[in-house]
Amino acid sequence: MIQTLLYGTTIGAILYFFSIGLSITFGTMKIINFAHSMVYTLGVYFFITMLPVLGGIFPAALAFAMVMVVPVAYVMERFVIRRLYGESLDYAMIATYAMLLIGTDVIKWIWGNTPLPVTDPLGTAVTVLDVSIPVYRVIIVASAVVLFIALNIFFKKHIIGKIIIAALDDNEGVRCLGLNVDRYFSIVFILGSILAVLGGVLYAPISAAEPYMGHDILLIAFAVVIVGGMGNLTGTFISGFVLGMVIAVTGRYYSQAADTMVFVVMAAVLIFRRSGSET
Amino acid sequence: MAIIAGVLLALTPILAIHRTTEFMIFCIFVMSFDLLYGYMGRLSFGQMLYLGTGVYVSTLFSLHISPNPILSMLAGIAGGAIVAGILGLIVVRLSDAPFALTNLAFNQVGFFLIGSAFQTVTHGEDGISSGVEPWGFLDFANEYVAWGFVLACLLFTFFVLKTLTSSPYGIIIRSIKENEVRVKFLGYNTYFYKWVTFVISGSLAALAGTLYTLYIGFVSPVFIHPLSNVEVIFATLIGGAGNLYGALAGGMFFMVLRDSLSTHIPQWEWILGLLLLIVVFYLRGGITGFIKTLSGTIAQKMAQRKTGEA
Repeated sequence: MIQTLLYGTTIGAILYFFSIGLSITFGTMKIINFAHSMVYTLGVYFFITMLPVLGGIFPAALAFAMVMVVPVAYVMERFVIRRLYGESLDYAMIATYAMLLIGTDVIKWIWGNTPLPVTDPLGTAVTVLDVSIPVYRVIIVASAVVLFIALNIFFKKHIIGKIIIAALDDNEGVRCLGLNVDRYFSIVFILGSILAVLGGVLYAPISAAEPYMGHDILLIAFAVVIVGGMGNLTGTFISGFVLGMVIAVTGRYYSQAADTMVFVVMAAVLIFRRSGSET
Repeated sequence: MAIIAGVLLALTPILAIHRTTEFMIFCIFVMSFDLLYGYMGRLSFGQMLYLGTGVYVSTLFSLHISPNPILSMLAGIAGGAIVAGILGLIVVRLSDAPFALTNLAFNQVGFFLIGSAFQTVTHGEDGISSGVEPWGFLDFANEYVAWGFVLACLLFTFFVLKTLTSSPYGIIIRSIKENEVRVKFLGYNTYFYKWVTFVISGSLAALAGTLYTLYIGFVSPVFIHPLSNVEVIFATLIGGAGNLYGALAGGMFFMVLRDSLSTHIPQWEWILGLLLLIVVFYLRGGITGFIKTLSGTIAQKMAQRKTGEA
């Protein structure tokens, strides 16, 4: 059971990393960003390529992957996403999906179709109460908590964070103050992409890298964002862990139903919380 | 109608008959989606659920109850209508992103039920063959009969949707797309109209599904996979949403593109991606919108030339 709980918190942490970016784009720009999963996958491939070059040092390759993805995210934001502000939901969604298609093909073209394994960088496990717990997973969960606190401080104390929070609440109002909201959105978009890469790289040793690895987590992350409330950062944190636990617990008893349960929870939340519905 | 039949007849020798039949079934599916998205402005990410319901209900009906093709079809359509009727009660309350994603959630649940939970009945990923047998002249092994029957279904769907969308009901659902609150103020029960549209759309998607069962005769969870939803959305957009001719053009164009690209180029999806970006940024009206603007410009030029001569 402790294994299941640990697995649930690990998945929850990964979901949190991935969902922040989605939640912010959803909350500020009203865009369902399909291309987020492309950035996630791309980051993992950058990591795999750089790991042997950098002498197998895990944190160095991770940092490199996070830096590499910045220009990609910038180009996406500047040339596609920015042109979609204020557009209807469907066109934005289709444009980001188009980017996902292009990106996935580029990844397949460069790195091929076969899944690439990533080894656990630590490989050690501690034994608590007769249960062996890989240290690596503990680190993932701890880094999620640290990140949550850091992001909270960033959004509450730093001026950029404050502007973003204000824009989440009332985009027009912030514009009227004479602030260039688009510029701050692009900063946060890049930040979200970097965090997606962080999540992807941390998750890679548990799964494996393949061109479509982003698709599954993307659908689940939509559920996380919706359950947590669009643009609600604390809500995203909580729902990430709750849904991670749902996956782990369902998976323990009926593994094929794990992903489906997430959607059942999401549908229930959407139906019973009427905030997303019309009056 | 005659024009559509003529165009499809002309396309048949170019594309080969079996492909045309399959593409026409897809066009019916696109039209069912266009009613919901193009006319009523509700983007669903779960239309495959109704296609899949049609496919599986008709297959199971033909295996366990009666091999009659017409009865299997009716059973499949009824199945789609019932599922849409029940789920519609819940989902039509929502709009925008929650509507799209709740449909996706239900589609995922349906995929799970077909693919994993009821594996003993549906054989899961392996798929099953349908038990439909020829009945009278309706023998789907004969390509010409299948082609004619699917064409008849396509024209029937087109006729039904054309009549519906140009009726007062059609005006109401188009008004719901523009501004639902105002329609409510006019005293219409928008919830009811949205529900009816959802059920019609689901039933027609199920009709397309039953045709797949009859024509292909072998079904697998591919027909209910949630990720396939993007295909129908793209086809609708490429053709031009909110226009039945656009749905036909988009459906045909998308299938031809997919078919020809995937046979010649192993990595073809980026071309589709590029095309979609072009549609989103430069060609909002899709193919039909493009033709309209083009004919508009030509008419303008002609008019200019006339005034110049005079």
